[in-house]
Order: sequence, then structure tokens, then C-alpha cells
Amino acid sequence: MTALLPARLRPSSSPRRAPRRRRRGVPVAERIALVVVVLIIVIAIIGPWIAPYDPYRVDLAQALQPPSAAHWFGTDVNGRDVLSRVLVGAQVTLSATGIVLLITLVIGVIVGTVAALGGRVVDEVLMRITDIGLALPSIILALGFAVALGPGLQSAVVAIAATWWPGYARLVRSIVRETRHAEFVESAVALGVSRWRLVTKHILPNSLDPMYVQVTLDVAAVMLVISGLSFVGVGAQVPSAEWGAMIASAADNVLNGWWALVFPGLAIAITAIAFNLSGDWLRVRQDPTLRDGGAR
Amino acid sequence: MSLLAVTEVTKRFAGQHAPAVDSVSFTLERGSALGLVGESGSGKSTTARLVAGLIKPDAGSVVLDGTELVGAPRATLQAARRELQFVFQDPFSSLNPRMRVSELVGEGLLVHGIERDAAKRRDRVVETLESVGLDSSHLDRYPRSFSGGQRQRIAIARAIAVRPRVLICDEPVSSLDVSVQAQVLNLLGDLREKLDLALLFIAHDLAVVRYLCDRVAVMNGGRIVEIGSRDQVYEHPQDAYTRALLDAVPVPDPARERARRSALAASRSVTAPGVNS
Repeated sequence: MTALLPARLRPSSSPRRAPRRRRRGVPVAERIALVVVVLIIVIAIIGPWIAPYDPYRVDLAQALQPPSAAHWFGTDVNGRDVLSRVLVGAQVTLSATGIVLLITLVIGVIVGTVAALGGRVVDEVLMRITDIGLALPSIILALGFAVALGPGLQSAVVAIAATWWPGYARLVRSIVRETRHAEFVESAVALGVSRWRLVTKHILPNSLDPMYVQVTLDVAAVMLVISGLSFVGVGAQVPSAEWGAMIASAADNVLNGWWALVFPGLAIAITAIAFNLSGDWLRVRQDPTLRDGGAR
Repeated sequence: MSLLAVTEVTKRFAGQHAPAVDSVSFTLERGSALGLVGESGSGKSTTARLVAGLIKPDAGSVVLDGTELVGAPRATLQAARRELQFVFQDPFSSLNPRMRVSELVGEGLLVHGIERDAAKRRDRVVETLESVGLDSSHLDRYPRSFSGGQRQRIAIARAIAVRPRVLICDEPVSSLDVSVQAQVLNLLGDLREKLDLALLFIAHDLAVVRYLCDRVAVMNGGRIVEIGSRDQVYEHPQDAYTRALLDAVPVPDPARERARRSALAASRSVTAPGVNS
């Protein structure tokens, strides 16, 4: 009877091994991703010291040199060393991303938790404000901020944070609403804990796991928006070594200087993939119900 | 004066016609054990939560040692919880998965300001753990590394650490393996004697209540249909529902069970309630 089935539907004669995640240790792809994330963070911190050249020094005599021993990633249209700019750019891009996510997380957790626990009126008001935030496209807002504050990375950071937190507030609200009804929360109430302790010790620690994962996954997304805003000209400004801005200024010479565009692009891609994979791994690791093979 | 006096407590949940709990009254004396039995949906768990102040009743009064709890300010209710603790049905969901045993059991001592010094609190936690059959080697472990019976012991330790005078147990053994049910019941019986605890014991298992409680209240449709001493209720049930409930309990002897069933079928005038397992 099994012969009638196509091969892929037949019950496998040799049962496949358990998915690799269930094995001990960190799977290979995630392990590489974690190393890369650590490496990127280290570069973001020490980038300015390890850069072989001054990333901002214009030397038109050296313009558009292809990759070589002297300039591993080549030089851009202004003769600046692309490797140095990518290294320094890690700091610019990642710190901007980090600030956006920090603001987002703090506002999101506070608004989401208050909305979930504060009663119907508070919830309604906060969620309508959240809707307003969600309705604003970050590019338009960034353009507005650029006009008001002058274009720059700060405007981009404020604009993205302003449009990004509502998603977090929603997520936190829905998780907290669920956690609030967990029996261990009722048990804490029955024990007689204070409201503050109930929220900080019982509800939030059991609600924030998905947030850490979300943050790690959002590193890539926020970074892309920052780079995108820089690319269209309302984010980081010349001569900043922000990766998106670098791509923007290299775009004109893509045919005779592809390296000035490809290397910052690769930096963005590798960072995004590494953070996504790490976020996935974090999720599995952080969940106490999945860790050290707990009962149940 | 009774330690705990519940008078005419009523609760109707939004969107339901019949009240879940309808004018329920009973008292609990110091060191005594009252069993609350009934089929599922009879309102016994809701009653337990109303008494513990986890749900606000629509009407009625709950007086603990002279203090009215219904409508009391948060602080009063919180203080009363030092005297009145709760053990939940499912120890797999009633323990915060992110707290170690030492924190779970010590939390009451901390939040009620009974033992502020961390080292002394730890000593009392160990003492409490030992009284429920666990020991100090379990202190730094998380609930996930314990079996159901052990978890329920942790939950009991958590509740009795503050030395309450009333312990409400909402079906504390019904989610456990039969083999550990007896152990946990014995533990509760021992603790009751040792700590002079008053127990409000909710169960659908009549045998369990008979074993542990000296008074029994039978609930049906949100009302207490019969309340009395254990022997009175089990030997001479007055209410038709109580009789039906008792008749629905199978006898662990095939010959007697057959005779019982045919006698029951012959005289079936009351429809037996569906007693769930």
C-alpha cells in the first residue's frame, strides 16, 4: 500500500534524527551568526581605531581605486578608503539602530503594560494613540522631522522611534493581557503581593521573552530603514560613513566603482542575517520551558 | 465567633442568566475542615475564589476573624491574605516558572514583611520545605524540574510559609496521579493538625472529602443544598441531590456494585447527576 504513495509521502523507514535544535549545544548556523554578531559589535566599538585610513579624508587622486592590497575594499568617488568607512560605519549605523530600539522598547513596554492592566478607558485612549503612531509612515515623518530639525541621523532616529513603538506597545499589550490571566499571577494575588511586584516580578518577566526576540529580529529591519532614510537623503548626511548613505553616494558610479556600493551593502546584509539567526536562537534558549529538558 | 464567616455571597458573571454562586453561607471554625463538593459547574471553585477575594462578589459578606473582606480596601485585603492562603488545582500553572523554589516559598515572608533578612528567610523557607517533605537541595531549582506531586508540595509550602490560619484548597489533588494523591492528602491532614489550620477543601471526589474533612457542604447550581457533619451527610443525606451524588459513586466490589446498580435502576426517581471523574 505504501508503494502507491509518492516517495516523499511514504513513511520513512529510518526515522529521521530529532531536529538539530533539540540536540545539546548551539547549531552551526546559529553559532556562526552569534560569532558574527559579536564581531560586528566589537567592530562597532573599536572601528575608528582599527580603520587603516581616515574614513573622511578626501583624496581625489585615489578616486575609484578597485580593491587592492592597499585598499582591500577599494576607494570611493572621493578617494576615501571603503574598508575604513565600512568599519566606522558599523558604529554609526548600529548605535543609531540601538538607540531606536531602546526608545521603542521602553515606550512600548510602558504603554503596552499600562494599556493591558489600566482598565478600559486607559486602554482605549492608549490604543487610539498607538493607532495614530501606526498610521504614520516613518519616511514621511522623517521628512517632516528633517524640515523641522534639519536633516540628519538624529531626525531619522526620532522619526523611526516615533513610528516603531506602537507595534511594540501592541505586542506587549496582547502578551500582558494573556499573562495576567495565568494561574501563577492569580496565585501571586492570593499570596498577597503588591501591584508593583505583581507586574515586575510575575507578569513582565513572563511576558518579555517574545520582546527580546522581536528586538533582535528588528535590528535588521530598523537598520534597513535607517539606511533607507539615509539613502533618500533625510538620514545621515555626507560625509557620514553610515552604510545607507555610503550606498546612496556610490550609486552614481555603480558601473565603474561597484565596490563602493557592494561592500557597505554586504555589511548591511551580513549584519541583518546574523541578527535574525541569533534572534531565533535566543528565543529557544531564553524560554525556560525549552531549556534543560524540563519536565512537562 | 467563627474564624471565617461567609454570608449570603452571590456572584453572577456577565452574560450569564443564573448566578454562578447563589446566596452561599457557611462558617469555618479554627482548625476545622470543611469540604465543598459538587459536580463541575456547581460553583464550588467560584465560591473558593470569592472567599479568597480573587473575585469580587455581587452581594454578601466574607468576615475573616472579625474583618469584613468584601469591599475592603486593597491594603486590608492584602493584610488578610497573611491569614488566608490558597492552593490551586494545577501546580503546573500555579507556580511562576521564572522563580526558584526559594523565591516561591519565601515570597509570602517577604511581601508580608515577616522575615526581611534574606538569610533568616532562607532558614524559614528550608524549614517550611522540610515540613512538606522537600529539603534544602531543592532551593535553587525551578518548578519545571519537579513532578506534579512535588510541585503541589511547593505550592503548599508557598501557602503555609506565612503561617495562615485558613487554607483554601481548590481541588489540590485532582490534577495529580492517583498514586501521589494520597500522599498530598495526608500531608494536608498532617499540616492541618500541626499548624492548627482551618481548611476549606474543594473537591468533586467524595471519598477525598470524606477522608479529610469533618464537615461537608454539597453544592448544586450555585447553591449549598446540604451542609452538615461528615457522618450526617454521608450516612443520612437529607437532600435528593446529595443522595443522587452519593449513589453515583461506584462501589469497588463487583457483586455489590451490580446489586447496587439494579436496586438503583428499580428505584430511579431522581436523575443521577453526571459526576465527572
